[in-house]
Amino acid sequence: MRLLTHNYLISNVKGTKDGYPLRIEPSEVTVEESPFDQDLVTRILPKLDYAAVKAALSQVVDKVEPKPAEIPESLPDGEIDSPTLEALYHVLFNIHVIEGNLVCPDTGRQFPIKQGIPNMILHEDEI
Amino acid sequence: MASSLQLQGSNNNNNKDERYLVLVEFAYIHLNFQLAELESILDMYGIKLGSSSSSSSSSDCVVIPLPGQQQQQSKPSSQKRRPYVILSFKSKDAARLSAKQKSQEKWDFATTTTTTTKVDVKNAGIVDILSRCALVKSILELWGRGCSIEDCAANTKHWTTDTKIGRSIFQKVAADASQSWKLTIHTLGTKYSREEQENMRQKFSYLGFQGPVRMKEPDNEYVLIREVEMDGKASPLHAVLSAGGGETKSGPENNDDDKFPALGVYFGRKLGGTSKKGRGGLEQYNLKHRVYLGPTSMDAELSFVMTSFGQVQKGSIVFDPFVGTGSILLSCALRGAYCIGSDIDIRVLKGRSQDENIWKNFDQFNLNRPEIVRTDNSIYHRHFRSHRPLYDAIICDPPYGIRAGARKTGSRLETPRQILDEHRHDHIAQTKPYPVSDVMSDLLDVAARTLVMNGRLVYVIPSFKDFNIETDLPRHPCLQLVHSCYQPLSAELGRRIVAMKKVEEYDESRRDNYLTSIWVNGKESAEKCANLRDKILEAAKQKPGYEEKAAIRREKRKAHKHAKKEAKRRSKVDIAS
Repeated sequence: MRLLTHNYLISNVKGTKDGYPLRIEPSEVTVEESPFDQDLVTRILPKLDYAAVKAALSQVVDKVEPKPAEIPESLPDGEIDSPTLEALYHVLFNIHVIEGNLVCPDTGRQFPIKQGIPNMILHEDEI
Repeated sequence: MASSLQLQGSNNNNNKDERYLVLVEFAYIHLNFQLAELESILDMYGIKLGSSSSSSSSSDCVVIPLPGQQQQQSKPSSQKRRPYVILSFKSKDAARLSAKQKSQEKWDFATTTTTTTKVDVKNAGIVDILSRCALVKSILELWGRGCSIEDCAANTKHWTTDTKIGRSIFQKVAADASQSWKLTIHTLGTKYSREEQENMRQKFSYLGFQGPVRMKEPDNEYVLIREVEMDGKASPLHAVLSAGGGETKSGPENNDDDKFPALGVYFGRKLGGTSKKGRGGLEQYNLKHRVYLGPTSMDAELSFVMTSFGQVQKGSIVFDPFVGTGSILLSCALRGAYCIGSDIDIRVLKGRSQDENIWKNFDQFNLNRPEIVRTDNSIYHRHFRSHRPLYDAIICDPPYGIRAGARKTGSRLETPRQILDEHRHDHIAQTKPYPVSDVMSDLLDVAARTLVMNGRLVYVIPSFKDFNIETDLPRHPCLQLVHSCYQPLSAELGRRIVAMKKVEEYDESRRDNYLTSIWVNGKESAEKCANLRDKILEAAKQKPGYEEKAAIRREKRKAHKHAKKEAKRRSKVDIAS
């Protein structure tokens, strides 16, 4: 699971008031380099919840080797310079949580991540 | 009904002849999809295909009839599909369109669709554009055409001597003594003797190419194509036997002229084509080479055609809500897309083993792995926060209950049992059947919400012959129908690939209204794609010999089961001893 994906996942178990953002409890994290795509990351930045990106990074960073470059505290208005875009691209696309849990901030319900795939399926009594 | 081509304005130098013509030759497969794929790819470059009835001189790109074809194809299905299309462009675009590098002339579908190419609208040549079509085999700069070789030669002579554009191109390539050339004849599987082929070449010798002849990699390859009618299996179709009942004799020159009458003859300069004799490298994506397959994997050509319908390109964000073994996403990734797939079924996602799973197919071709999540598309909005439109394309093959039943989360019970906290972590969620009509409504609703403006939804839907596009396709006010192409699989059953485009922003307050208007004829038309397994079984039962075949199958299954039991028993005995 990449951090980009995490940015969109919620817990909407019956009775949950606010199940976003989910807290990542990683047990295994890998880094897979991929070619930097400036257009892609530029297009996607306005559609992200940036606070959740920063929170997600802080929750996984201990397990990330090598340590990723710093990303800004908040997204600057206007054009962003290339090194910052590269750092953002790396954090969003290259860090993969392979094993772990996503935890609902409201109810504590855990959604497991196995082999890089988060299991968001609700149980029949949660619908 | 063959008549020689009426040359429009052949005696006066009028606008209709001052166009740059390109002959597109398609592979002889998926004929119903060819023009649609071409349209979608051209649209990616801002080129809208006009019909020949509109004012030809003002449109940027128009399809003109093939020799022998009627002006307007009013009933396209009644006319037999021919694997050629003539595109007519403005002559001022000729230089830009025909520009190409030597390295691009023979394209390998693999390399032209990898992650390195971006759509460059301003500078794209026709080879850049059309090499993205999985179904295109070659592209000719068309110099002349006709219903016979003589007509074609006359038409070519007219173009190269009487039109400004023809003369200028002729000067540039044919009159240049430094450019080597060769002339190839394509007779599409019909046979011609050496002398007869030489005769055909002679009809064009008036062109007087100045440069030297070179067989291997000449600067210019001229092509003469004699199109004949094909049978369903890409072989030339024999002409109808003469009234006397005897076979029509071959001509005295020992050629196939009479047995295979020409539908059209074309002469032109080759701009590019697929590199291998067959399919330009498409074979390497054939399912038989894949590491991981399932019963629902989609064949390679059709997957690529779906990506063309979806206008997938480098940097596109593509979502497949029924990803299964990932065969569609693989084609998207090969086009350079960032892929996200979801499925409710853990078995296909996990695969059969460490070496046979969805990741391995991507590793096999050196692609970035797609994002996979386990979610239920019927409750998309309960898995994903409401977000600004994100996907450039949603491309999928929804489960319609033939080989893979559709499921959604939830219990069949009114009040399901509460799951204890200590069991929560290991609990396997119950699922219940998910009617096809709901699968499609939810799909269209998710697409309307999450696609960017002009983004595309492409999906497969099975249908019987009694399917009516107007009333039986699901619809949504935010989505406009772009293509609907039918692939027959048997006499009664076929598959339709549908492409829709988002044209209106989703209005949350109208959600209920959207969902109720998806099926125009209500449940009745939704029924047509539901319960197909039962319908196929019913249809099969009507066929003669069904009972005998069913009995044979039962016997086989019994024998197989017995053999397995025996093998198990024997291995147990071996272990014991």
